[in-house]
Amino acid sequence: MSAKYAVLGLVIEHPGYGYQLAQRLEERFGSSGFAPSGVYSALDQLSRDDFIRSAGEVGAGPARRAAPRMIYEATAEGIDHFEAWMLGSSPAPPLRDELHMKIALCRPRNLSRLIDMVYGQELACMGQLRDLKQMAGEEAAGDSQVWSRMMRVLARDAEIAMWQARIEWLQTARELLERLREESPRSRTPDVAGARRTGRLRAL
Amino acid sequence: MGEVLLRLERVSKSYWRGAHELKVLNELMLDVCAGEFVVVWGKRGAGKTTLLRIAAGLETPDRGQARFEGGDLAGLSETRHASLMRERIGWIRRTGPQIELPILDYVALPLLAMHRHRDAYARAGDALARVNVAECAGQTWESLSDGERALVGIARAIVRTPSLLLGDDPTGNLGVREREAVLELLRALAEERNLGVLMTVPDMPEMMAAHQIRALSAGRLLAPPEPTPPDNVIAFRSRERSA
Repeated sequence: MSAKYAVLGLVIEHPGYGYQLAQRLEERFGSSGFAPSGVYSALDQLSRDDFIRSAGEVGAGPARRAAPRMIYEATAEGIDHFEAWMLGSSPAPPLRDELHMKIALCRPRNLSRLIDMVYGQELACMGQLRDLKQMAGEEAAGDSQVWSRMMRVLARDAEIAMWQARIEWLQTARELLERLREESPRSRTPDVAGARRTGRLRAL
Repeated sequence: MGEVLLRLERVSKSYWRGAHELKVLNELMLDVCAGEFVVVWGKRGAGKTTLLRIAAGLETPDRGQARFEGGDLAGLSETRHASLMRERIGWIRRTGPQIELPILDYVALPLLAMHRHRDAYARAGDALARVNVAECAGQTWESLSDGERALVGIARAIVRTPSLLLGDDPTGNLGVREREAVLELLRALAEERNLGVLMTVPDMPEMMAAHQIRALSAGRLLAPPEPTPPDNVIAFRSRERSA
């Protein structure tokens, strides 16, 4: 999904210039993986489509010789277009994952490495949750309105539900892979990361 | 955060299904400090309730120690443990009284044997007011909403001013608004009363208000990795190294 609708929604909420919008996009949808540069191409496209227009300029920023920054606001067509998108149905996300493929094509001798990869992804998911938690705390501190807070919580819950499903699947996969490794003598290769997890590394 | 209130040190626990050993907790380590809200997430059957029961001294680990305020819970006499559960460790219940009685009486009940009735009722009223359900004092459990029941459960758990609060999925069945209110309250209680709060949950959104989050799987607790340092720190270090 492009950043187009996210940027248009942010401009409708509050007009702003490119850098400001990139910052707001990062705050609101940081873990969705939108590149900051995507904001500028989205603004170009939205301008070409007459969904946003210039609402004046602000002076140069901290770099004194920088060009003035253009403030964007939404046009009536832009608001209509956004409303139509908001009310339209959303497609289900595709389920394509490299780890799924690796597991499907894994051979017994790859088991130890695969278990480490699964464990690494569990850790990465926990890291994402920690970042979300931190972001949620900062947002809650600056937001006293019930409506916007609850909408933020709902959007955050959608993201957490995805990470929870991911971690549950990773846990199930790791439990099964570890059991298969115990049962399969061919796959018994030195497991350095596993030893680190269990604290056995100190004894090695 | 304050000093360590609860320390689980290489705690292991297994259950047996016939000849099959089910390792529920495996060399598990966890600290809960005063003023800290800790949430442990796990799937159904992951061992969350066992972990909490060991933290309360209601079960003893097969190996390792559960220490509360420095003392091994397994080494306590029944009388000493009962006194600890009465005064220092609060357990958030999700079930109400067995008989129909006003909520104020239900919350005051744990205090009646030890305090004058007037004091007990005053403290119960304060606890209900602190969790924002003072208006429920005259109602019965049956007439309360799920959100109000969760808050009354917390009021009853804090009425004896414990130093450690334990909760097994205290936000189960709640809607988003009620859930957020309960989580914010638990965090606020931890911070303002220097209380250690340990809660287990089956859903991850419940972790968002916590100071410390953990995932329980295959008997072990998984913590988020340390955040990577910002790019400018890495750049500074690399310049320093090359100088």
